[in-house]
Amino acid sequence: MNKAARFVLSVFLLLPALLFCRGCSSGASMSPAPGETRLVIFHSNDVHGKIDNFAKVAAILKRERESGADVFYFCAGDNFTGNPIVDRFNPPGEPMLQLLNRLGLDLLAVGNHEFDYGLAVLENFAARARFPLLAANIQAPPGAFPQLRPSVVLEASGGIKIAVFGLIQIEKASGLPSTLPERVKGLTFSEPLQAALEMKTMRPGNHVLIALTHIGYDQDRLLAERMPELDVIIGGHSHTRVDPAEIVNGVLIAQTGSDNRFLGRVELRMRDGRVIEKKGRLIDLRGKLKEDPEVKAMIDRFNRNPALTRVLATAPFDITGKEELGCLMTDAWRRELGLDIAFQNNGGIRLNRLDKKITLKDVYALDPFDNQVVEITMTAAEIRGLVRESFERGDDIDLQVSGITYTVRTDKDQSVKEVLLRGAGGKALPEDRTFTVGFSSFIPSAYRFEHKDPGRSLGISTADVLIHFLERHPDLSVYRDIRRAFVETEGQS
Amino acid sequence: MQVKVNEKSVEIFSGARVKDVVRKYSRTAWKQVRGKKYSVFDRYGHEVALDGELSGGEGLFVRSVEPEKRQR
Repeated sequence: MNKAARFVLSVFLLLPALLFCRGCSSGASMSPAPGETRLVIFHSNDVHGKIDNFAKVAAILKRERESGADVFYFCAGDNFTGNPIVDRFNPPGEPMLQLLNRLGLDLLAVGNHEFDYGLAVLENFAARARFPLLAANIQAPPGAFPQLRPSVVLEASGGIKIAVFGLIQIEKASGLPSTLPERVKGLTFSEPLQAALEMKTMRPGNHVLIALTHIGYDQDRLLAERMPELDVIIGGHSHTRVDPAEIVNGVLIAQTGSDNRFLGRVELRMRDGRVIEKKGRLIDLRGKLKEDPEVKAMIDRFNRNPALTRVLATAPFDITGKEELGCLMTDAWRRELGLDIAFQNNGGIRLNRLDKKITLKDVYALDPFDNQVVEITMTAAEIRGLVRESFERGDDIDLQVSGITYTVRTDKDQSVKEVLLRGAGGKALPEDRTFTVGFSSFIPSAYRFEHKDPGRSLGISTADVLIHFLERHPDLSVYRDIRRAFVETEGQS
Repeated sequence: MQVKVNEKSVEIFSGARVKDVVRKYSRTAWKQVRGKKYSVFDRYGHEVALDGELSGGEGLFVRSVEPEKRQR
């Protein structure tokens, strides 16, 4: 065949593909022609316990299922942590389990927050789930976590086989997902993109290959670049709102943001066992949409859960004042997490009084910001720098502390002359060692102080640590007229 | 870990979320975001939630309106 003939043939062969590509990520709906199949995959990610919009999701799923299309519903991880109604249920996470079962979820990729209640709770969740949990880069010891699978193959009408594998993020430094290490004890994690490449073997024999990931949008793009064998990546973790879904290296990437504000809808048109068109868009759940009355009734019942008024601990008196409350919070973080020292800023203490019967609701009112505990290894000199910075922000004591006491010495104009740190027994803090220091995540992001170690989030919220502490019924009688931070001004006694 | 905000490198604790790194990047930018005058986007122009979890090497942009999508 001569050059001109080859060119004409190439254009002829490429033209339909080019026309299809124009519609790849458009908002237009796809109507299947005779002999074609339409697959619709709805998806959520990073719901974080925000259950209220599930009645709308249920109505949308029902309508689509009644249309005759093959309909699936996937979740790309992180169902827990973010709503006390879900997190404080007994057992934790139960509302999510019941709702996802009711909605007919087909698959759940394990995210780092799936481990937030501990492995035993997750295994119990998985045992009662009517959907498998996926992660190709988690290896459990024999007999443990039997519901966890690397991949599954779903079947659609016409014998279409849809292979799906899961991936969870891991941190480079620890090789573990972003959670407390003891929550994933016994499990082994491998690098997600490497694990994905091993899933290439699923391509032959299946008509559609999907990665259901919890690795973040940047990593999803990298995966698409390295693995063009994929048809679709449905992702989570970075809370990225991808609308419309993007095509990268021929792979469609979708993600819905977070908190159940959007529902993702991916549509695949199939002919002769091949995907000939794909697109994805988000459905905004924030407006007025039809709700499934039965699911709405379930949600209302969960929201009436009296768990928030449960008394966690009883103090001999009301605990009042920033100093007392700050000492209680920082003692909780230090003792529960085995830290040397802990700091909380006054702005993060949102009540001035805790009633002596302390409920969950009180803790969330005291500490409402969903800040994480961050650990930084610091020297005494670095801690002095932090205390100085905190004082100079308002010319007054701003940080409450556990594990040490400190004194800020100023001149008459409130300029800081010296910061003294004292450890156990009132002795000066040694200069030749380092200390593990815990903070609310607000402090290392908002305060400007030198510290060689950048630090790490411990993957647990400050409020949750306080709740665990109070549930152990500590001696609360010490939190009256307690002072650990002092100011000495020149010329004043 | 290092995250770029408006092309400036910010050193932040590992496991930080979007709100942490924006706060560290600039108090002014954080106030604009908190006041809903600005939003945060990734390097591809997609909006990210403030509680979105970050990994080292990611890039964010704090802007008043959704920008044209960027290509790496």
